[in-house]
Amino acid sequence: MKLGKILSAILALAIILNFNGCSKKETGPIKIGVLLPLTGSKANFGEMEKNSFELAKEKINKAGGINGRQLQFIYEDDTGKPDVGRAGAEKLITVNKVPLITGGYSSSVTFAAAAVAQQYKVPFLVNTGSVDKITEPEAFNLTTKDGDKFYIYRLNPPVSEYASGLETLLSEVVKPKTVFIIHESTAFGTKGAKSFKKSAEKLGIKVLGVQSYSEGTVDFKPLLMNVWKKRPDVIYMISYVMDAAMLMKQARELGVKPKLFVGAGAGFTMPEFKANAGPASERVVSATLWHQTLPIKGAKEYFDNYIKKYGGNGPDYHGAEAYSAALVVADVLKRCNGDYSKENIKKALDATDMMTPFGPVKFTSYGKKIHQNKMRTYVVQWINGELKLVWPKNLANAKFEYPINWNKVWK
Amino acid sequence: MKDINLKFFTITKYEQIIILLTIIIPLLFYDSPYMQGLFIFIMMWVVLGSSWNLLAGYTGQVSFGHAAYFGIGAYAAGLPFMHWGISPWWGLLTGGITAVVLGYLLGIVVFKLRGPYFALGTLATAEILRIIFGQEEWLTNGHNGILYVTTWVDKYPYYFIIWAIALATVFSVKALMKSKAGFYFLSIREDEDAAKAIGINTHKYKNISMAVSTFWAGTAGAFYMIYMGFIDPEVVFALHNISIITILVGIIGGVGTIWGPAVGAIIMVLVQELFRSAFFGLAPQWISKVHALVFGLLVIFVILYMAGGVVGDWDLIVKKFRKFRLKKATK
Amino acid sequence: MEMVLQSLVSGLLIGGLYAILGIGMTLIMGVLKIINLAHGQILMVSMYITWTLWYYLGIDPYLSIFISVPVIFFLAEAISKYLLNPLIEKESILPENQVLMTVGIGMVLVELARSIFTSDYRSVRTAYSDKVWHLGKISISFPLFVAFAFSLVLTAAMFYLLMKTDLGRSIRAASQDKIAATLMGISSEKITIFTYGLGSALIAAAGSVFLPVYYLYPDVGPLFTIKAFVITILGGMGSTIGAIAGGLVLGIAETFGATYISQGYRDAFGLFIFLVVLVFLPGGLKRFTKV
Repeated sequence: MKLGKILSAILALAIILNFNGCSKKETGPIKIGVLLPLTGSKANFGEMEKNSFELAKEKINKAGGINGRQLQFIYEDDTGKPDVGRAGAEKLITVNKVPLITGGYSSSVTFAAAAVAQQYKVPFLVNTGSVDKITEPEAFNLTTKDGDKFYIYRLNPPVSEYASGLETLLSEVVKPKTVFIIHESTAFGTKGAKSFKKSAEKLGIKVLGVQSYSEGTVDFKPLLMNVWKKRPDVIYMISYVMDAAMLMKQARELGVKPKLFVGAGAGFTMPEFKANAGPASERVVSATLWHQTLPIKGAKEYFDNYIKKYGGNGPDYHGAEAYSAALVVADVLKRCNGDYSKENIKKALDATDMMTPFGPVKFTSYGKKIHQNKMRTYVVQWINGELKLVWPKNLANAKFEYPINWNKVWK
Repeated sequence: MKDINLKFFTITKYEQIIILLTIIIPLLFYDSPYMQGLFIFIMMWVVLGSSWNLLAGYTGQVSFGHAAYFGIGAYAAGLPFMHWGISPWWGLLTGGITAVVLGYLLGIVVFKLRGPYFALGTLATAEILRIIFGQEEWLTNGHNGILYVTTWVDKYPYYFIIWAIALATVFSVKALMKSKAGFYFLSIREDEDAAKAIGINTHKYKNISMAVSTFWAGTAGAFYMIYMGFIDPEVVFALHNISIITILVGIIGGVGTIWGPAVGAIIMVLVQELFRSAFFGLAPQWISKVHALVFGLLVIFVILYMAGGVVGDWDLIVKKFRKFRLKKATK
Repeated sequence: MEMVLQSLVSGLLIGGLYAILGIGMTLIMGVLKIINLAHGQILMVSMYITWTLWYYLGIDPYLSIFISVPVIFFLAEAISKYLLNPLIEKESILPENQVLMTVGIGMVLVELARSIFTSDYRSVRTAYSDKVWHLGKISISFPLFVAFAFSLVLTAAMFYLLMKTDLGRSIRAASQDKIAATLMGISSEKITIFTYGLGSALIAAAGSVFLPVYYLYPDVGPLFTIKAFVITILGGMGSTIGAIAGGLVLGIAETFGATYISQGYRDAFGLFIFLVVLVFLPGGLKRFTKV
């Protein structure tokens, strides 16, 4: 019977899928899962991170791998959607049987995937997803004392701390009285706006308003007119790269001239921002998590190797996060002494204390968060078409251009 | 096996086989939560596709905005949890009802419209809801979404819940279509003015169709909240990923057939997942990059060569296949 | 006052751009009686053609109209001939099969673009990209003004074509009553194929003049598809004048809504107007303009 044939085929598939994790040899490569958006609208960032993971893998394996065994990354495409990300994490855990997942790009996808990892008790080393709650055990019905039950670790700072480096620049040099906050209406944007509002109030800067817009807006002029009507000293923007460019272009057209335009990382540090905004990108300041000229060992080397291998303008902090996550993974696995069980890897993660091209990595607890790598952030500025590190002063490779004569800069 | 005759409809022996298979097959994959997850998604799309099919395929009101009801169902489960800590599980009851209320209210506007205007009207309402739910943070937590730590790690309970909902949806459509109402639905689809002329209260029956359809769509939304544990407006009110995919599920399987959307759901989920995972990692990686392309081509192919969908054109497909085999044999 | 004026100017300029998108859609909807959900994707393809010509050959985006328009015209004719028209004769339960076909076409176009160009953002930079005119305190962006002026010219040309030429009369006849038109000796098949090509060529032109103002990535389309049918309904199906009026009304409504109510709701204003028009003013502005 036909039905019998179909049934036996399904049965065979079931057997394969149920037991395909058992034939693993002890000498084969160690497989680690990576969750990234490789197709869909965020694929360009996913691609940059994947390239960086591969770059790191080559370096690690060339240097002898993990105690003699090779390292292998299994990529799962989350397509930028939380439900696919969830299914992808599940596949990595149950089909590929990886003992550790890393990656995690957009906040909502990372969060959904983190819930899966937590349920299966598989360690998840997040390297980009930035909403605060990812490393807050409270969101997973745990408390900050449950470190041994909490499987999420994060290499990158949460979005609320993106601007910490910027805060000192504002309070020590610019000393603005007022600020207006513009943000994209996404989880990243709203959370970032909220936390910057808090820090501004802490610094005694008056927040004149907070206004959101949807991604892909063509005409920002109404928004900018409303902002400029209030004459803020600083305009703070949380935007992705092309919205960022459109905002600056139209601000220039309207003649919006505050003391300083500040971007909250994300899009403002990317080469595409300058390419599209042109002269309007000049003297714009942005918080950033990383810059290739930072005096961190390996930063420049990573940046150059990336360009050598993949060409293009080179990676930004997203790539550095991924590259460093791969190095952390290798370090953690080396400290496992041959026992690559989930629990052992978790213990090794807890003990992590190392230097990466992205900065020092150590998972600590503070406030509501645990397993969070605490980092300082930096400030960059577009000066004569180049992105320069201007703050903190002792690390800077260019002088912070301030005050700014917009009439001259924009011409 | 024999057909089982119930008061409102019959369960044919084929349907009994299907029901049995949908119990047995997932049980075979007892050690693969990943596959179980896929089965859950298939069942969820069966619910959405069938609910759309009742309104569009049988009643002729082609909704391009089913995400509105799916989304409102999801938020009906999520909002009480977020604000007052009430378990989202209640959403399985309230989600459907909330969606019916919304459907009735929107119906006041969109049922004034016909054909492509109806399609556009429903599309616009879903988009407006998406924007409102993203903007009104005090009510919905905006784009930060609602998070709920799911009740079980094990997938079987979820599977059998959505399996029961899917069966209920399909058989409720079947029962309706066997009843007098079903006959009225069809006459509205074929010619609304003629239906009105012979004394059918078209407005009433369109609303009945809408109510049943939105009820199941809302229930599916509530299930999504419970199962996924995370929703935000861009996910549950999505134009492409919910509204359009719902229609494609119906089209691929067969519009205006009882089991069409179910078949469409299986094809949609499996084709997407096979390509996305590069045939479970057996094929080269680049294949995963084209999963959306393949799905688009599949849609074009089905519409061009199987206008009735896989179920609607089943006889035709079988015939062609036989001819093909015959040709091969004679060579 | 200054803000009102600036809003008005911004809205008008954006509205001009919307108008070209709208004219393309209104022709297609009027004659083929389908919602073209691949509208934005065709805009995207045209923008990629423009970008490629600029990036590799250094051709000015405005000049590339002469290439993008014919290319898209023939592409759209092929789509219409081989993918949309065959569906007319096919028996199917729902008349929306063609609409869903456009969904499939749109998906394929986006994914093809993604596999060729990746998901990276692209933009063109020309000498006039940042040019701004100042009228008192009102600022006018030069490329946006060009897009606006261009849309006026294009509309005038379309109007002439539809009103004064035989071809135009055939198109209008087909859009009013297909059967009667066929009886009068108009080949409705040819007209539908031509109209889809023409409507798409208009979008192609819009894509080329729009690229210097905006930017480009594979998923750029859907936002503009929605704008285009909002305009079509606002203006009335098949009405060129209606589409222009609709485009301008939408542009101004969005801008004023964004200025005085909320930027976050910007995209909802158009949809809301759209629903109101659908329900309370079926036929749109065409009811007043009659053409």
